[in-house]
Amino acid sequence: MSKVVVLGAGISGHVAASHLRRKLSKKHEVIVVSPNSNYQWIPSNIWVGIGRMKPKDILFPLTPLYKKKGIIFKQAKVQTFYPEGDLELNKPYVIVEYVDKENKGKKEKVTYDYLINGTGPKLNFEATEGLIPGKNKTYSVCNYTHAYHAWEGLSKLIQEMKQGKKAKILIGTGHAKSTCQGAAFEYILNVEQELRQHKVRDMAEITWISNEYKLGDFGMDGMLLSYGSMTLKSKEMVEMIFEDRGIKWIIGAGVNKIEDGIAYYETLEGEYKSETYDFAMLIPAFSGHGFKAFNKNSEDITDKIFKGFMIVDADYTPKPYEEWSVQDWPETYQNPSYPNIFAPGIAFAPPHAISKPRVSKNGTTISPSPPRTGMPSGITAKLVSDNIIDTIKSGNSSLKHKGSMGDMGAACIASAGYGMIKGSGISITTFPIVPDYNKYPNTHGRKLGKTFGEIGLAGHWLKLALHFTFLYKAKMKPFWWLIPE
Amino acid sequence: MTQRITKYQRFIMMNPIIQFFKFIYLSLKVLIIVAGRHGGTRKLK
Ligand SMILES: Cc1cc2nc3c(=O)[nH]c(=O)nc-3n(C[C@H](O)[C@H](O)[C@H](O)COP(=O)(O)OP(=O)(O)OC[C@H]3O[C@@H](n4cnc5c(N)ncnc54)[C@H](O)[C@@H]3O)c2cc1C
Repeated sequence: MSKVVVLGAGISGHVAASHLRRKLSKKHEVIVVSPNSNYQWIPSNIWVGIGRMKPKDILFPLTPLYKKKGIIFKQAKVQTFYPEGDLELNKPYVIVEYVDKENKGKKEKVTYDYLINGTGPKLNFEATEGLIPGKNKTYSVCNYTHAYHAWEGLSKLIQEMKQGKKAKILIGTGHAKSTCQGAAFEYILNVEQELRQHKVRDMAEITWISNEYKLGDFGMDGMLLSYGSMTLKSKEMVEMIFEDRGIKWIIGAGVNKIEDGIAYYETLEGEYKSETYDFAMLIPAFSGHGFKAFNKNSEDITDKIFKGFMIVDADYTPKPYEEWSVQDWPETYQNPSYPNIFAPGIAFAPPHAISKPRVSKNGTTISPSPPRTGMPSGITAKLVSDNIIDTIKSGNSSLKHKGSMGDMGAACIASAGYGMIKGSGISITTFPIVPDYNKYPNTHGRKLGKTFGEIGLAGHWLKLALHFTFLYKAKMKPFWWLIPE
Repeated sequence: MTQRITKYQRFIMMNPIIQFFKFIYLSLKVLIIVAGRHGGTRKLK
């Protein structure tokens, strides 16, 4: 009998747990530890943030599903890792603290044979002074509670605009090293369209603020896209969309402080500036959760397992941008010190950024951290669980399943406005996610054709279709496993 | 100079009939790219 413990029930944790449960016989235990009792389809938070969906539309409770499927669920958060056990308990374990009403504060040692860390990022609002969701007129859409509050703030402002108030709206990144520009990009376009729907667009000045060196960088070093019969840079595409929507932009900006209605930022030129606003949605920095790890003798071995996020089979040798290679990126998401620990999704420490790092004249790094979107999170979780399943079934360690982000495609279907007839979406796919400048030297490291962009109503329908499809899959309804990650 | 979305392009982008076919095309294309093969890169070194 083997015991697989999955930390986190987000995209990666839930995908891993579902596949493990489906393919492993009931004599093996699958345990999920996660503090949130609900599964949420995060990409649809954009629509919660504009009032077009309610939180209940994008989430479902995990307990009944896991009970039905035979997955043990502990509503708790992991705190400490003991990958060698300790002097009393001769088995690897993690210490978890329960957060549910009945057991709140109770701690437990959860032992494992295999551990999958799918805890994603810590939303590190504290890294930017004054950036607190719901305070200082700033909001977030990173989870459904935040997104719902964002909608409350926005709808109040829309009412004020209807009474004649002129408003400034600021959307983008709230830290010099934020990632997830794509989510902010979707949100700004959705907000812009909502203001048009409410007939108050002319009362608002909408500004994009971002740590990207160029528009359309998205933390992916930009892209060269096939767009209809043309080949377009992502910068040109985003510029075209912003021009079309009357959205201003500030780029190369590292937001470092928020006061009520004022965002302070530093530019790559080294200037210190500020921007006032009546409503802001700024993506915080993402960081590791600050977990600690100890060896058998209770000595601190955190550095062996974590580098902010979890260390996996990447090449972490520090090197300049010019020497970065696609081979630096991990393939199996296995921790090199403890082969029974894996970290798919956002939980693994990337070897370096994807975008060229930029430093301001004052020495502040202002550039996006590497994004890891939903699809790679799902794909990496599945391959990790497949390797564990093979290992358990064969009795021999197997790492047959591999998936480097340098040999994997991703789709980003960015909503650009909600509505069955008036909606719009920007569908972008990239192959590979991490550019391979040796393989595709003339097309910015990616394969043209497989890296393409499309704008239009079909994109909205596609995003909506993905919403229903992925919730269906997450609920493990009949034949859910046929739907790819 | 920044590209502009022309009136004709906007018509294409928002025409439900044209977009219905685009939807089918996009769904398949996205499926092929995302569900397509993925693997390691190091063996290529
Ligand atoms: C607003 C928004 C829109 C997005 N839109 C898209 C999109 O359109 N397409 C796309 O591909 N990607 C999108 N993304 C990115 C996508 O949501 C992430 O890539 C994905 O959620 C990462 O999955 P994950 O499982 O690694 O992390 P998460 O989904 O963040 O899951 C982490 C899990 O770990 C749990 N956890 C946290 N701390 C602990 C702890 N101490 N112990 C145990 N469990 C813990 C959390 O509760 C959660 O269940 C979007 C992101 C945002 C914020």
